[in-house]
Amino acid sequence: MSRKLSLKIEPRAEELDTITAAVEEFGDAEKWAPELVFRVNLVLEELGLNIINYGGTEDLHEIEITLTSEPGSLTIEIVDNGRPFDPTKDAPEPDLDSGVAERAVGGLGVYLVRTMMDELHYRRDGGRNYLTLVKELAK
Amino acid sequence: MEVHAEREGKILITRAEGRVDGTNAREFEEALHAAIGEDDRLLIMDLQNLSYISSAGLRAFLMIAKKLQGRGGKLVVCSLTDTINEVFEISGFSRIIPTHASRSEAVAKHGG
Repeated sequence: MSRKLSLKIEPRAEELDTITAAVEEFGDAEKWAPELVFRVNLVLEELGLNIINYGGTEDLHEIEITLTSEPGSLTIEIVDNGRPFDPTKDAPEPDLDSGVAERAVGGLGVYLVRTMMDELHYRRDGGRNYLTLVKELAK
Repeated sequence: MEVHAEREGKILITRAEGRVDGTNAREFEEALHAAIGEDDRLLIMDLQNLSYISSAGLRAFLMIAKKLQGRGGKLVVCSLTDTINEVFEISGFSRIIPTHASRSEAVAKHGG
C-alpha cells in the first residue's frame, strides 16, 4: 500500500518551513527513521531553493511536491514551470579536493542530492520541469 | 537555531543547536563571526545538538574556516551525529575541517 503527501508551495524561501513541518508529520506517520526525514528535507530544500533562486521567471507561481511512500521505496516528484534545469546534467561538478583557502564556495546542493538518493530522472514537458527521485528503503 | 559561545583557556568553543538551513544560514554565520574575537585562533564547534544542515549551512562552516585559516588559525568540529557526519563526508569537508568524536578529544588534539 502506498501513501502520498502532496504539497503546493509558492516560490519563496520562507516556504521551507512549511515543507519541513509537512515532511516531519508524514515521516512520523510512516515511522521513518530520523535519518530519512533529514534526507528528504535536505533534498527538498536543495532542489526547492535552486528553483526559487535560479529558476524564477514571471510565470513561476507554484512548485508541486509529491512524496509517495511504499514498502521498500520512497519516491519524490518535483514539478515546476521555471527555467529548464536538469540536475542530472546541468549542475557543475563540486570542488571536493581543494584546501580551505582555495575551496570553492557553493555548488554542493545538487551533489548532496545525487549522492543521497538512488535514482534521479528528469524530463522537460510542456514548459515544465519534472524531476523524480527514488530512495530505496529496507522493507 | 542557536549559537552559544564559551571559552576554555585560549580556545573558543561554540555549541550550535537546532537546524541550520537556507532560511537561517546567514544568521548562523553572522553569530559565529560575532563570537570570534580578534585574538582567537582555534574555534571548536560542538555539533552534538545540531539536528540538520544543508548546503547553505555548509557554506557558513567554510566561510568561518577560511576566516580562521586566513589568520593562521583553524576550525575544528566535534560530536557530529551520524547524519551530519555523512553530510560532512560527502561534501569533502571532513578532509579540510578536522573532525573529532568528542569535545575533550578535540581539545586534547588541537588545544596544546
